Amino acid sequence: MKKLLLAFGFIGAILATSFSQGRMVSGTVTAAEDGLGLPGVTVVEKGTQNATFSDIDGKFTLPVSGDPATLVFSFIGYRSTEVSATSNQPVNVQLDADIAGLEEVVVIGYGNQKRSKISGAVGTIDTKEITSLPVLRTEQALQGRAAGVQVTQNSGQPGSTQSIRIRGTGSLNNAEPLYVIDGIPSAGIDYLNPSDIESISILKDAASAAIYGARGGNGVVLITTKSGNKGQKPQITYESYYGVQEPWKYMALLNAEEYAILMNESRSAAGLAPLEALSNPAALGEGFDWQDEIFQRAPMMNHSFSFTKGTKTSSTAVGGSYFTQDGIIGGEKGRFERYTFRINTRQDGGERFRMGQNVNFTHLNRSALAENNEFATPVGRALNMDPITTAQRPDGSYAYSTFIDSDIANPANQIALNNDFWTTNRFVGSTFAEFDILSNLKFRSTMSVDLSLGSHRIFYPSYDLGIGENDPERPAYEFRPVNSLVLGENKWSNWQWENTVDYSKELNNGDDLQVIAGYSALNNLSTNFYGSRDSLASNDVLFAYLSNSMNTAEQAPTANGGISESAFIGQFVRVNYSLGEAWSLAGTVRRDGSSRFGRNNRYGIFPSFSAAYNMTELPWVAEKDWIDFWKLRASWGQNGNADGIGNFDYTSLIYNGLNYTFGSEQVQVNGAGPINTSNPDLKWETVEQTNVGIDADLYKGKLNIVADYFIKNTNDMLAVVPLPGVVGFLPSATNVASARNSGFEFMVNHRNQKGLVEYEIGGNISFIRNEVTDLGEGGQPISTGSVFGIGDLVAYTEIGQPMAYFYGYETAGIFQTDEEAAAYEALPNAQAGDVIFVDQNGDGVIDSDDKTMIGNPHPDFTYGFNASANYKSFDFSLFLQGTYGNEILNGVFRYDLNTTNLPVEALERWTGEGTSDWYPRISHSDPNQNNRISDRFVEDGSFLRVKNVQLGYTLPESVMQRLQIGKCRVYVAASNLFTFTKYSGLDPEIGTRGTLEIGIDRGFYPAARSFMAGVNVNF
Amino acid sequence: MKQQKTLFMIGFLAVSLVACKQEFLDITPLVGSTEANYYLTPEDAEAATIACYNNLQQEVTNIQGSAQLAPHFRWYFGDICSDDSFKGGSGDGDEPDLFLFENFQGNSSSKLLLGEWQVAYRGIAYCNLALNNIPNIEMDPTEKARYLGEAAFIRAYWYFNLVTVFGDVPLILNNLSPSEYQQGRTPAAEVWAQIEADLTAAREALPKRSAISVGEIGRATWGAATALLAKAHAYQGEWQPCNDLCMDIIASQEYFLDPDYANIFTEAGENGPGSIWEIQYMNASGGNWGNQLEGTFTNVWQRARGQFGGYGFNIPEQGFVDEFENGDPRLAATVFQVGDQMGDRGTFTLEATGMPHLYYPKKFFINASDEAPVGDPNPHGYSNDRVIRYADVLLFAAESAFYIGDEALARQLTNIVRARARNNNSAILPNLSAETGQDLLDAILHERRVELGLEGHRFFDLVRQGRAAEELADLGFTAGVNEVFPIPEVEITLSGGLITQNNGY
Repeated sequence: MKKLLLAFGFIGAILATSFSQGRMVSGTVTAAEDGLGLPGVTVVEKGTQNATFSDIDGKFTLPVSGDPATLVFSFIGYRSTEVSATSNQPVNVQLDADIAGLEEVVVIGYGNQKRSKISGAVGTIDTKEITSLPVLRTEQALQGRAAGVQVTQNSGQPGSTQSIRIRGTGSLNNAEPLYVIDGIPSAGIDYLNPSDIESISILKDAASAAIYGARGGNGVVLITTKSGNKGQKPQITYESYYGVQEPWKYMALLNAEEYAILMNESRSAAGLAPLEALSNPAALGEGFDWQDEIFQRAPMMNHSFSFTKGTKTSSTAVGGSYFTQDGIIGGEKGRFERYTFRINTRQDGGERFRMGQNVNFTHLNRSALAENNEFATPVGRALNMDPITTAQRPDGSYAYSTFIDSDIANPANQIALNNDFWTTNRFVGSTFAEFDILSNLKFRSTMSVDLSLGSHRIFYPSYDLGIGENDPERPAYEFRPVNSLVLGENKWSNWQWENTVDYSKELNNGDDLQVIAGYSALNNLSTNFYGSRDSLASNDVLFAYLSNSMNTAEQAPTANGGISESAFIGQFVRVNYSLGEAWSLAGTVRRDGSSRFGRNNRYGIFPSFSAAYNMTELPWVAEKDWIDFWKLRASWGQNGNADGIGNFDYTSLIYNGLNYTFGSEQVQVNGAGPINTSNPDLKWETVEQTNVGIDADLYKGKLNIVADYFIKNTNDMLAVVPLPGVVGFLPSATNVASARNSGFEFMVNHRNQKGLVEYEIGGNISFIRNEVTDLGEGGQPISTGSVFGIGDLVAYTEIGQPMAYFYGYETAGIFQTDEEAAAYEALPNAQAGDVIFVDQNGDGVIDSDDKTMIGNPHPDFTYGFNASANYKSFDFSLFLQGTYGNEILNGVFRYDLNTTNLPVEALERWTGEGTSDWYPRISHSDPNQNNRISDRFVEDGSFLRVKNVQLGYTLPESVMQRLQIGKCRVYVAASNLFTFTKYSGLDPEIGTRGTLEIGIDRGFYPAARSFMAGVNVNF
Repeated sequence: MKQQKTLFMIGFLAVSLVACKQEFLDITPLVGSTEANYYLTPEDAEAATIACYNNLQQEVTNIQGSAQLAPHFRWYFGDICSDDSFKGGSGDGDEPDLFLFENFQGNSSSKLLLGEWQVAYRGIAYCNLALNNIPNIEMDPTEKARYLGEAAFIRAYWYFNLVTVFGDVPLILNNLSPSEYQQGRTPAAEVWAQIEADLTAAREALPKRSAISVGEIGRATWGAATALLAKAHAYQGEWQPCNDLCMDIIASQEYFLDPDYANIFTEAGENGPGSIWEIQYMNASGGNWGNQLEGTFTNVWQRARGQFGGYGFNIPEQGFVDEFENGDPRLAATVFQVGDQMGDRGTFTLEATGMPHLYYPKKFFINASDEAPVGDPNPHGYSNDRVIRYADVLLFAAESAFYIGDEALARQLTNIVRARARNNNSAILPNLSAETGQDLLDAILHERRVELGLEGHRFFDLVRQGRAAEELADLGFTAGVNEVFPIPEVEITLSGGLITQNNGY
């Protein structure tokens, strides 16, 4: 490494700058639409380094070397224009607005490219779209905005992650895209303040992502944060909103009377006498609403400011924000707070040297409740808890249920006692230096670090919901005699050093050549320390620190910690070649090595090619004046997916926890041995993708269309394929499986002006088909998705089917009579009122061989729709998003406990011949296992959600001038205002748990509906 | 010229980067060892041996390659698949596979079979690691011999389980390389021969119980190896060697019966005077499902539901309760009946359990106040699994004495067991005196059933004695089929067809 530093310094030393001063050209740049001066326009003398910016009035002066000189004027949102200028003659230039966005520069990996030249499939989201709805998390900005990108919440709890799938699920392991923020690959983007984002590019096809090689296989999300522009006058922006969130739906459950009737029926069906407490159902009435108990209104608030300024040789952006959001369950017990601070600066050091620094500091506080499992979450408990028990007794103490045992403890008490805090301090910084070796050869070196310090603190207070001490009726779950504390400190640190050389040349025949070559080295290091103690002196979380333990036994404190490291090296080169205006060609090769790959496969090579043809160059197209621009694109490439591989997965570690207890004192003695087999061949998953697409801008930019078709094959997919049991050790992942995602994406946008109304409507839709094509030797299917209430694994991944489809028994109604049941020998314990399970293989026995596909969690298509309009000072926007054709497995209810509350559909149970053909009789003993995994629990998960509606008003300039404010806009907005779905659960938008558990509802923490009011002010 | 220099420097830069990359990617784990640098020191030898023991505690295990959990208790097949108990649980759908096996309808795709198979072979793999690697470690020869004896004993224990559950099974004595992963079945006779060889070796290497320190209680001893070897002979109908070995244990005076039968199953009774081979569990906090700590799941699994907070499995059958002679105090130590006090958890009523069962198993009942204090409300229990008790050896001695023609000895040995149960109450459990022939054998087998009830022996005893077809006919037992369980379907597939299915499945 030292050598490299020396080399870099040396280059700087030997390349002294020398420039000759030439003639001067000056003039004014104005906007075509209003004739007013345009500030900040870049003016460059073509083929030279000579450049400047226009001032506030659009005036500029530039030293030029040629006479006449060719000047190129460019500015965001305007078509760039070339003008020939002779010195001492004022140049007046009008720039046309770039309605079609052809000049728009799109951030691609390691550089930018004009949209018109892009040959891969790149989706973009600009700052306007991000700020048009207040997004709480950056991932939300992607939702429904780009075709082929599916963003689903993994929980509605504040601070929870979202799962993002770019062009389907391309891995059985890690299917999340790679995030690159200002050039730094980053684990998670929750440290960003969404208002700081300038643009987001989504590299969807292999050719676009190929420059990220072994890490680009799931697609790449490139985020660029705001930086000031050179020559820009100081601008201060303040944005703020306040909102209230509320639950938008309760599940329809039995009331106390109905519950009592059904429980009595259930007990009687099993030969049990009714419970005394339930003997008079009518007297119980409505009972207690547990959903109402745990859900609440919760506030959220955001303050964000930014300052940007530029001089002729530098630019600065400073930003800060505070965001806080309480949970609609538990309020502050589910609070997420984010403080961000950032500085982004650039400086020119002479004509040939530039540098920049980007520093982010983020402080996150998160208090979280257990979510999305069927054992111990407030949602699961509130839905399953009987409606007779109340949260609190008249004296205010928390009550317990005498009807339900096991996991269904009082959720209100659980929330009150919940103390689970994460505090994260994250520092992300980078600095670059760029040097023009020649006028068209640039060297750039970027060093970045990402350091996160995460503290985790969990305190379990002691409690006893019994009435008095040693209440014999009190369930075991409602009692914790000794309090305890877990404290953890985690550190994640990454550094990355990248060096690139960028060469561009306009050839004599008008063709353009651009080459970028680079080298990247990355190291990740994480350490952690966890300690725990019990018997703390105080039951107050305020005093929950390890040293306050009263337990002096030597065994009482436990402590553990570790360290893990990985390294990554990549070399890459990309060549872009423009053949006149007609053809754009690109080729990329990247070679990547990782310490995570097995010894036999340390390096991989990832090639790609793409081409675009500008149809507008054809005379028969050019003559059609309704076609502004029409481009065909095609690409092929290979990427890798390596981020799902653990640091030492290739080897078999000796595990030190194989302990055993000996002696009358029961002392644990340490045992050690391997757990897994080792795999020295372990390597990346190979993602090969072919893409064809068109871009078209029609009717003077009023209509834009983007359409793509892709086939994405993942080979060498890592799967843990079962080994014969005789091997004895657990199988490690091997590169044996394959999957295919293919699909069609379509995006259309229309904008126009009618009178004083400017409007824009657009939409996107994507159809993706997911299929597993190989699972290695023997093709053993993979079962996942344990749902306890149903007592089985419900998801199945096998060859020829979509990943993690729902797998169980098909039903064929209800036996109406005992005779009918007796005649069906495959179900020996069935009687009238029980479910008819279909004997798929006809062997006369219903067993696991009769399971079949009962649902598919992957949507047929996903879509987004947006509309916006401006009228005078008013603006309005609407954003809808939805999925169609996906199914949800409703695993909310703990049928295994047989005394939980039930959905109101249970009232339509079978109670005699002809009463129901879909809801079985209710029985405590359930001899026919009516609640085994079957299509009864699969529901249509399609939904259409009014994600955001917003109405804004910009205060008139006259008022602003009096207040000496540049611009002030106020708005009101609503998120998740309406959701249209047939799904019976709390929320149809259910993400993943791991990669192979999709759309399984175990008592999902629902997204809130929220109402917001906000203000944006520019000074 | 300048340009050439520039190009030269860029080349130099690239080369220097390439030069340093090799070591850059070589990162070794700093926590824990890899297989390559282990099994070198005496400490490694001990840890490798303890790893063999560790697997004995794997009762609820992850099925490899899936997120599925499979309970694997000795009493699942031993008791529930016999006429001693019903499955229980919240209903037939709670552990549905076990319900099928209880009624001899289970099929080869059940996860319970995979649990049984995979846990045994996992245990065997650790034993093979120890047996293959410890000989190469330089260390005290006595210690080394003992470690090897322990690993051999545990390997024999696993093969004993496999051969009694599945019949012919692959006999794996070395750790397998990828080309050897697919293995066929070895005839049961050869498996038994290996069990005998391992136990004979273990018997020679292991210390007697009286020779080990208090801190080593729970480790395999000469007595454990001898008793398991006697049992192995009994299962093969080799009565003379069985009798010799049992008498050897009796003569050693290493063991005697706890005067109070009920005390055996208390915490104080763990590793008691009659304990020959016990799987050790301790009160470990934080029920960590599937990620085995040091406690047992049996306690919570067998405890009544409702206010008792258990899962209510292994429900004693009426026929089993009726098997006890009038006044036999062992019934009250084995079975809870309605109205009984369930320790500090309250009185057993149908209301309190929420289920219609009239009996619950008692041997694995523990008080709430004795549970692990912190964490999950379903902590692991502490109860050791009494796999081989002295009474078991006495009854094998009696049974083998009967078969080798020494009826007097058979009666005398059985009477030792009855006398302890009688606990000086002369009104109950009279000595055997005149019983002879089939009556005597029946009396010995009756004694086994009540003395060792709900300890996971019954099904295997019935099969071994050739009485399963007769005794379990009501449950659907088919002679010639149900003596063994089906080989897991997945294992047949993964063996590439080298493993064949048992007859009738």
